[in-house]
Amino acid sequence: MPVTKVLTAGIGEVDLRDFTVYRDRGGYKQWERAVRELQPAQVLELADRSGLRGRGGAGFPTGKKWSFLPNDNKPRYLVCNCDEAEPGTFKDHMLLEQTPHLVLEGILLGAYGIASHHAFIYIRGEFKRGFEIFSKALDEARAAGLLGKNIFGTGYDLEVTVHRGAGAYICGEETGLLNSLEGKRGEPRLKPPFPAIAGLYGMPTVVNNVETLAYLVPILEKGAEWFAAVGTERSKGYKIISISGHVRKPGNYEVALGTTVRELIEIAGGLREGRTLKAVQPGGGSSACIFDEHLDWPYDYESMAKAGSMLGSGAFVVFDDTTDFVKCAFNLVRFFAHESCGQCTPCREGGHWLETVLHRFVEGRGLRSDLEMIRRVSSTITGLNLCALGDSIEPFLKSVINRFPEQFEARIDARSLQQNGSPAMAASAR
Amino acid sequence: MSSTPTQPDLVHLTIDGVAVEVPKGTLIVEAAKTVKQEIPVYCYHPKLGPAGLCRVCLVEVEGMPKLQIGCNTPVSDGMVVHTQNAKVDTGRSMILELLLVNHPLDCPICDKGGECDLQDYAMAYGRGSSDVADAKTSKPKGVDLGPTIVLDEERCVVCQRCVRFDDIIAQENQLVLKDRGARDIIATATGEPYRHNFTGNVTEICPVGALTSKTYRFKSRPWDLQRTQTSCTQCAVGCQQMVDVRSGTPLRTMSVESDDAISDGWLCDRGRYNIGFYASPERITQPLYRKDGEFHQIGWDDAFSLWAKAIKSSIAANGAASVGAIGGGRLTNEEAFFLQYLFRALGVENLDWRAGTQRQAGPGASGGTYAELERADAIVIAGESPAERAPVMDLRIRKAVARNGATLIRIAPAEGTPNVACIDVATVAQAIEAMPSGAKRVALVWDGVDLQLGAELAKAASGWAGLRTYVTGEQANARGAETMGMLPREGAMDTLAMFAAAREGRLDVLSLFGVNPVLHASDAAPTRAALERIPFLVVSDLFMTETAAMATLVLPAKGAFEKGGTTTNLTGDVLPVNQSLQAPESALSDFEMLIGLAQHFDEVALPTSEELDERVIGLCAKPPVADGFGAGRYASAAPSRPAPRPSDGLAVVVHSAVFAGGGTSAHDERIASLRPLPHASLGAQDAALYGLQSGDRIDLECDGVLLRDMVVAVRPGMRPGIVALTGGLPGRAANSLSAGARARVVNVRKAAAPVGV
Ligand SMILES: Cc1cc2nc3c(=O)[nH]c(=O)nc-3n(C[C@H](O)[C@H](O)[C@H](O)COP(=O)(O)O)c2cc1C
Ligand code: SF4
Ligand code: SF4
Ligand code: SF4
Ligand code: FES
Repeated sequence: MPVTKVLTAGIGEVDLRDFTVYRDRGGYKQWERAVRELQPAQVLELADRSGLRGRGGAGFPTGKKWSFLPNDNKPRYLVCNCDEAEPGTFKDHMLLEQTPHLVLEGILLGAYGIASHHAFIYIRGEFKRGFEIFSKALDEARAAGLLGKNIFGTGYDLEVTVHRGAGAYICGEETGLLNSLEGKRGEPRLKPPFPAIAGLYGMPTVVNNVETLAYLVPILEKGAEWFAAVGTERSKGYKIISISGHVRKPGNYEVALGTTVRELIEIAGGLREGRTLKAVQPGGGSSACIFDEHLDWPYDYESMAKAGSMLGSGAFVVFDDTTDFVKCAFNLVRFFAHESCGQCTPCREGGHWLETVLHRFVEGRGLRSDLEMIRRVSSTITGLNLCALGDSIEPFLKSVINRFPEQFEARIDARSLQQNGSPAMAASAR
Repeated sequence: MSSTPTQPDLVHLTIDGVAVEVPKGTLIVEAAKTVKQEIPVYCYHPKLGPAGLCRVCLVEVEGMPKLQIGCNTPVSDGMVVHTQNAKVDTGRSMILELLLVNHPLDCPICDKGGECDLQDYAMAYGRGSSDVADAKTSKPKGVDLGPTIVLDEERCVVCQRCVRFDDIIAQENQLVLKDRGARDIIATATGEPYRHNFTGNVTEICPVGALTSKTYRFKSRPWDLQRTQTSCTQCAVGCQQMVDVRSGTPLRTMSVESDDAISDGWLCDRGRYNIGFYASPERITQPLYRKDGEFHQIGWDDAFSLWAKAIKSSIAANGAASVGAIGGGRLTNEEAFFLQYLFRALGVENLDWRAGTQRQAGPGASGGTYAELERADAIVIAGESPAERAPVMDLRIRKAVARNGATLIRIAPAEGTPNVACIDVATVAQAIEAMPSGAKRVALVWDGVDLQLGAELAKAASGWAGLRTYVTGEQANARGAETMGMLPREGAMDTLAMFAAAREGRLDVLSLFGVNPVLHASDAAPTRAALERIPFLVVSDLFMTETAAMATLVLPAKGAFEKGGTTTNLTGDVLPVNQSLQAPESALSDFEMLIGLAQHFDEVALPTSEELDERVIGLCAKPPVADGFGAGRYASAAPSRPAPRPSDGLAVVVHSAVFAGGGTSAHDERIASLRPLPHASLGAQDAALYGLQSGDRIDLECDGVLLRDMVVAVRPGMRPGIVALTGGLPGRAANSLSAGARARVVNVRKAAAPVGV
């Protein structure tokens, strides 16, 4: 089976939270080498050549993102996004809890790559344990002189600040995160300006995912070519996939990008006895489902996009033939409506409205006219929102309504089928 | 295309098929106005900038797959924009449909009905039918947000204009958006009442009926209102405002649109809400004459002849020096002119407009404009806070500091604002001199009270190039009254000299026009003693003020909405005062009273109204007085900083507050709640010394007067040794203190927890 161990190497075998264990395995060597021997521009160049793309969801090429920072002599910041609240995603806090020094070393390298002297990590409020483990690791690294002033006597200063969130999915969106980090309401910012120009405290800022930054460590160690050698045309290297749902062994599996959808299901132990596959949601709660016909497609950024979905954060949820897709759709829409910051009209009102209507379907009180309304509203609001959360409401919903219309139609209240009156009348006739 | 070379800072684009040319950086929403195409907006506001929240401003830009928001998309060369086509319509109608999903549609009882952007856009872009089959969410309605405003959460479209106004313009940061998703609500961050000097503006910028004024709720429909534009005369800023009257009652005032050179499009709450007094039953309706210690109603003819007789006999017996008149700061320019004209024609030279603490009005030749204030590099505030004396001008100062990077320096002999250290003139001069020479546009804002401070400032500032001065008059038309000649000439008595003469029995007839020295003079006890000894005191006012109650003859006057004329604001602009209201039957304007008085003096030649206008216009056009600051014109011993007395206790300074309510605002129940608490402010050092924290209640003993139940406010920036008391609150003993009083803390009632005050 094509499971690899790059970031996950050693996890479950040794206690990587132990500073000496991590160091003895070569930990912080890349950090020391970078600061002593490389210019920041060289680190950026390595990241760029490796083909590393953001592992937080959008898959934006990391080196390119860094290169957007203007040379304006302002302080610049690196922010590590460890808010991880995308439904189905559970890899970042695993790294944080299991191998905190690797996460820190990645942050240090990323900060150095953009010549920043202050990095931040924004940890989801619920990850109390991860926060404690990481804070301890940070203290140890600081005590060992790996960060702070004049690191390794090179004159390079770098500080890392840990910040805990307070429980909002929207604070994972990078500008919502920046607002929250600044102590403001966690609501996304209007773009432009983009964080690269005016981010944290109005300064040029890069926001990167935990996993993205962690991959910098092996890329420095083994070279950009080593990373770029695996994967597919535009999806290079490795990725941790959080596989869940109707599989026998759900969990995090690190694989080369391009592993097929079928292989991923098998890696996670396959389906339960006697069950058949109905759908896979391949890229987190925001992604549309893919189906049987995609089983042998490579799991990479471009194929998932071609299949009408996305790779996203690598949250891979498997649904077998026992699935109630009406409930699933309701559950996800409820999640987005609940997590909407409420700033912009389409997401706030549209999400809430769709949630209300889907709730009626779950209870078997759908109206004939609702299906048309669900399609119309969910598709019209997509693209009108201020941030990507609002655009995340439609994909799953649309894909399952189209694929399993019978499940939705079965929840239409029989009385409404006979009624010619207004939908409101029908609804009140419950 | 024309052959003229294109300017580099102009961008050419096409909007709805029309070629337009606009400056680089212009937003589509603004550019569309050049082709008279209105793009609907809720969250966008020219003064607040784009926020991208409501998404109703959708437009199609060719080459971009998604619809764009017109409010945050700048134009670019060659751009092709469609503000109206099927795709745009679908997007916009979706937004309106969504906004109505949970909107209560209680238009029939909503104050905004008829001038609501949700109604208007729903008509213009809405679908006209609804797919909503479920009950609407319910949210709190009729939320008492603070003393001025009621909030209906269900009507809110979450455009956050109110929140952004509070942040960007007022910089009070009280309003926030709480909770999230469809559950979000507007509230104050702390849960305390929404309260500052500019709250009413949010009712105007709220595009729907979510924020409404308590004073206007359920009162009218816009089409039943008669609108008149005039100048606010409640302080010397001179904001332009619309007065909306229904059946003879002024129901509300509104700001004028956007870029007004004076108000910048805003009003303060005093200017906005203090209008109820016009209809107050407490207004004086008939001339009153005191006989045997009691007031008796008399007719105007009798009033004029009694008044004239008193003046005549006093002049005959003791000469014109035994007669005086004070007023003008609350009158129109025309009235102030005629006031001094008539009295001077009678030989009376004891004329002054200064009845309160302010000793100087016109800032002289170097007076600046509000636009210059906004662009100043450094703003020096001397004396009382302009937030209390010239509120809307203070918004310019806030803008200059927060958005244009101006340095704010405060010189306050008494109270400091929190976090601003009070420093002396020499230190300020040093700071200004240290500024880079290219950045030396200095604005000096002075309350015109402490002449000694004024003189020091004048000396220090004489070398500052680009100096602009602003004197925040305590009466709206102080500058106009001064220009019109309501100041004593060489050898005549000014207000303080008149009061001194009165105490010595040398002043027989004193006529007061719209002034209440008992409440507002810096030294109340001697003022009262002076007025008590005047045999014939005439007071023209709308109400039975503390001073009117001591008069021999009380004359019912018209208020500013009830008459016409001009007024001069603190920057020297001559502004129209337009009549929007009919006065109560028997009230006369001060002008009409003076005419009535003049009829009894055959020797006085009255100017025709044309002559009068000509004279007034001539005076207004005259270059402002040249000697500016701290001038020798103010010869008499002006009250200065209280000389520290060696005894213990704290030096008392009484400061004004715009809502203290001593004047007309005392007569409007609805805005009585705006009145500040009687604060005793002291510095952190003294607070520690006396063991006080903000919110504690204390009694102070000041030279034998007991001041009860003052609320402690600890202001870190204040100098030690001083306690600052809120002045002007009706019926409070603080008003009767003498200059230089000292206070001892006699009783302390601790607050449960420190309170923000
Ligand atoms: C609603 C929403 C939630 C998000 N949550 C996360 C998150 O929890 N962690 C994360 O790394 N990225 C999250 N993202 C993506 C970030 O905005 C951002 O693209 C990412 O952190 C960039 O890092 P990368 O380039 O390394 O992927 C979220 C985006 C949206 C729209
Ligand atoms: S799309 Fe939703 S989460 Fe994003 S800004 Fe708008 S309301 Fe907030
Ligand atoms: S109360 Fe009015 S101004 Fe404030 S967010 Fe709601 S609709 Fe906008
Ligand atoms: S600042 Fe002065 S002129 Fe302007 S509204 Fe307020 S009281 Fe009226
Ligand atoms: S006006 Fe453009 S988004 Fe509200």
